[in-house]
Amino acid sequence: MPSTRPVSPLRVLRLLALLALFTATALPALAQPAEAREQAAPSESDPDSEEAREIWEALQEPAAAQPPTATPPGHGMNPDISVILDVAAAGFSGTPDQRGGHDPSKNGFNLQQLELSIGSVVDPYWRFDGNLVFSQFGVEVEEAYATSTSLPANLQLRAGQFLTRFGRLNATHPHSWEFVDQPLVLGKFFGGEGNRGLGAELSWLSPLPWYLELIGSASEAQGASTARSFFGSDDLGVKSLADLQLTGAVKQFFPFGPDWSLAWGMSGAFGPNPTGRSNRSEIYGTDLYLKYRPLRDGDWTTVSLTSEAMSRRRQVPGGILTDEGLYTTLFWRFDQRWAVAARHEAVTGVADDTLDPEWTGLRQRTSANLTYWPTEFSRIRLQASADAPAWKAAPVYGVFLAFETVIGAHGPHHF
Amino acid sequence: MHSIRTKILFWLLFASVALLPTLAEAKVRVVATLPTLASIVREVGGNEVEVTSLAYPTQDAHFVDARPHLVIQLNKADMLVINGSELEVGWLPVLLTGARNSRIQPGGQGYLDASTLVTLKEIPHGRVDRSQGDIHPGGNPHYLTDPRNGGKVAIGIAKKLGAIDPANRGDYLKRAKALEAHAVSLADRERKRFLAIPAVRRHVVTYHQSLLYFLDWLGLEEIGTIEPKPGIPPDPPHVARLLSHMRKVHTDAVLQEAYYSSRIGKLLAEKAGVPLVVLPGGADFEKGQSYQEYLETLTSKVYAAISESER
Repeated sequence: MPSTRPVSPLRVLRLLALLALFTATALPALAQPAEAREQAAPSESDPDSEEAREIWEALQEPAAAQPPTATPPGHGMNPDISVILDVAAAGFSGTPDQRGGHDPSKNGFNLQQLELSIGSVVDPYWRFDGNLVFSQFGVEVEEAYATSTSLPANLQLRAGQFLTRFGRLNATHPHSWEFVDQPLVLGKFFGGEGNRGLGAELSWLSPLPWYLELIGSASEAQGASTARSFFGSDDLGVKSLADLQLTGAVKQFFPFGPDWSLAWGMSGAFGPNPTGRSNRSEIYGTDLYLKYRPLRDGDWTTVSLTSEAMSRRRQVPGGILTDEGLYTTLFWRFDQRWAVAARHEAVTGVADDTLDPEWTGLRQRTSANLTYWPTEFSRIRLQASADAPAWKAAPVYGVFLAFETVIGAHGPHHF
Repeated sequence: MHSIRTKILFWLLFASVALLPTLAEAKVRVVATLPTLASIVREVGGNEVEVTSLAYPTQDAHFVDARPHLVIQLNKADMLVINGSELEVGWLPVLLTGARNSRIQPGGQGYLDASTLVTLKEIPHGRVDRSQGDIHPGGNPHYLTDPRNGGKVAIGIAKKLGAIDPANRGDYLKRAKALEAHAVSLADRERKRFLAIPAVRRHVVTYHQSLLYFLDWLGLEEIGTIEPKPGIPPDPPHVARLLSHMRKVHTDAVLQEAYYSSRIGKLLAEKAGVPLVVLPGGADFEKGQSYQEYLETLTSKVYAAISESER
């Protein structure tokens, strides 16, 4: 088990002070490298080079921000705003046990979500991204964070409320998923909304010749549907660093020519759980994404294989609970407008699990779907699934007809 | 004593090996989003510049995957040249944010949106929404198929390179002016050649409204597009209507870029008895093709097809 040495509040404060100091000192230095080259310009082209140099040196002191020289046409100062509507008609053969917060989860019509996303450059140092999700009964701040664009040494800072970059699917939104519903393992280990919280993240792009990114974040450990393996619904407060969720990830990417891509990630999340003093939970995961998209003339073919496996260990009174889960997806887009996909999931269970008392054995679910895109701004998806928990007498079959529309300027998707 | 000397020697050797590439690489590193832009940068930058392209000419620039290794090129770049007018909006922003490079962010020292250097066409007036298809509110972004625009872009690139690398400013400008002069004379020459063909023999069908500038330059008239609206794939009623229209007003060729499916283009060309001309989607930058060579490929293919149908 991980070390459970308590961390004093003083150390937390010191860490926060260091972080603040680091950002404060780093910020003015940001514009420097770009300007270093430019400094030579006035002396060459200006006749009054002495004067020009003085002006440059005077301006140098506080490292004045450069005003944007070009804004994309049609944008002005307005942020990119888009609205995404996801609705679905669903039918189940028995009592459904969907785990995703935005899954169709009852017979009849379901409002999966109405998402308002807003994004914009803030100033030369930051950009802002926010996702507000409206349900029929309220509004939640799904994500709202700032990302640094010009920290030195290939570092990048994110601060605010964000989905942690654990694994492949967690940090993405239902809009970019290949299936109507969330994989069971994410719902069971993190919660229906995916793993997120208020916090800060620092990531580093290595200078190696291939893509290798290291990510570390600290975030709030409570939230019944966002951090259920950690504090979950119990708000026990933050008394030390040990009361936060710490997440680490390594992401690598290997292109094989123009047509083949391989992305591989390893992640770990560590935090407290509420079952007893200094009891900890830890989740490990690895994810693989293999994509074939031939750049043949006029070809829309895309075939991708996604696989994500996770393992969880929780300290509880009287022992350690261990369970695992995985999903594998095969996706084939065979036309500009059409795609098919299949997914298999398996998630184990343990006895005496207070979070999921009924989940005592293996649960397997198989799903397949057909997607039609009238344009890239609307999507119709028919999905069928067979859900077979070991503790139920018969599998539960489900059918969804899901419909999505996107309006406005929606931001690009990560690979 | 001996071991210390060995250690010093080792570190000196290590440092020199580590530093050598950086000394040799005093070049300005430029990333262009499109291969055609990269070809222009290569010609303007000469040996002082090292340039790469994010997209391939076989790729529709609207739909490039934001593959993470592209972030590495952007991370090290001194300058970024984009086509602009929202052509790259579906993939470039996520790469730019991941690049952690303030020099090439919008508004940064090394950021150049080439669409700001030319006069764009088809800027929508009045209300704009996607019932009109996937339109670009800033104007039609496919302006590089007119050499006069390429010339203007070359001058803009030279100025930007000159600001980043003042020592070679003169060389950049000189090469850009040469490129512009060649482009303008190519434009005049080809325009005269095409205009010598009677106007009624200059009717073409295109796939997407991506050849607008090319057609305007050469006095070709677009009598229809295979796509009913920008970004909307062809449907049978539209294709049938287009075919009867092609027969009615007389058509000389069907033109399309290689990155579009040629299924419908072939069918239309066959039924209407005209040639199908598949054009490269951009300069073949990796094989060393220049901007002028790329344009000559376009004009010679189209001219051959039209003059053939004339006979």
